[in-house]
Amino acid sequence: MISLLDIFLNFLKIGLFAFGGAYAVIPLIEEQMVTNTGWMSFSEFSDLVAIDELTPGPIIVNSSTFIGMKLGGVPGAIVATLACVIPGAIIALTLVRLYSKYKEIPVINEAMRILKCMSVALIFSVLIKMFLSAVFPSGIEVFSDVDILSLVMVIASFFALKRFKLNPLLVMLTCGTVRLLLSLIR
Amino acid sequence: MFKKAWLLFINTFSISMTANSGYAMLGVIKNRFVDKYGWFTKEEMEDYIALAQSCPGPIACSSTMIIGYQACGFIGAFASVLGVLIPPFVMMVIVTYFYTFISTNTYVRIFIDGMQAGVCAMLLDVVLGLFKGVMKMNDIFYYIMVVFCFLFVRLTKISIFYLALLCIAVAVIKTFMIRKKVEENA
Repeated sequence: MISLLDIFLNFLKIGLFAFGGAYAVIPLIEEQMVTNTGWMSFSEFSDLVAIDELTPGPIIVNSSTFIGMKLGGVPGAIVATLACVIPGAIIALTLVRLYSKYKEIPVINEAMRILKCMSVALIFSVLIKMFLSAVFPSGIEVFSDVDILSLVMVIASFFALKRFKLNPLLVMLTCGTVRLLLSLIR
Repeated sequence: MFKKAWLLFINTFSISMTANSGYAMLGVIKNRFVDKYGWFTKEEMEDYIALAQSCPGPIACSSTMIIGYQACGFIGAFASVLGVLIPPFVMMVIVTYFYTFISTNTYVRIFIDGMQAGVCAMLLDVVLGLFKGVMKMNDIFYYIMVVFCFLFVRLTKISIFYLALLCIAVAVIKTFMIRKKVEENA
């Protein structure tokens, strides 16, 4: 049984480092929940990213509620959700008290720029993992077992998003439906 | 004061229920508290949002917290962040509840696996968008940081939390060096 304190501390850590936009938290969750603690499997994590996209609300809040709930029921969800916003709360209230009129703070601006570079790299890295697990379900070693349908759907979805500016929600639901229908026909 | 806190709560609650992303929320927040209630000027609001962007965690929480604090102190901050958190929290508790029951069902499994293709495409779109932001910074230094962070996370087993600390350290050193250079030239 994972204690509420453990859940709290882990999400405090994620909340503290979740700089630079909504998606920046995804690599942090993968690192802390899959690699460091092993509380989630990579496939559960992939499911979570899909669920985050399907549901409204900030990704970090949705993810912490989801994971907290899985680890420790409703109390776990409450603890995880609060923990992930506490660091931001303390920093926000400190900044607003220090700078009642916001002035440019060069160090913070520079740090935000560099952290943005970091989140591009980290999200790209998670993307590679998710792509490989979707296209090579038996692992990259078994190169012959390539899931062509997945590969085609990734490319088609990307074009749908980029070219035709389709709603991501619609694209994802279509992918799910196509896969389900094809498996029923077979 | 309590009336203000209550207003903050119901407003952030209703905004959080209807908006589906942090950035979409900001527009509505501006609209409510600047135009409707007239609590802040447009400039003040922009300062708060800029400040909120320098905080870790969801922008929706940090921005509303700052607004709440400026409106009526800690009670205001607490009321508004609670208003933001409750809707996604309740929804995710329900979603997770259903997920744990249906995710083992064969058909649901196939559907979720199918959605992964869409998730990959969506993440690729996000990464490209973020990378465009890096390109706008127009400095080879930031490209190097992206590559460095990518290699760091792929090639080493060191936790990305240390990478974040390293990035912050680089930002501090870089700002310091720029300042020194400016002083020398002066």
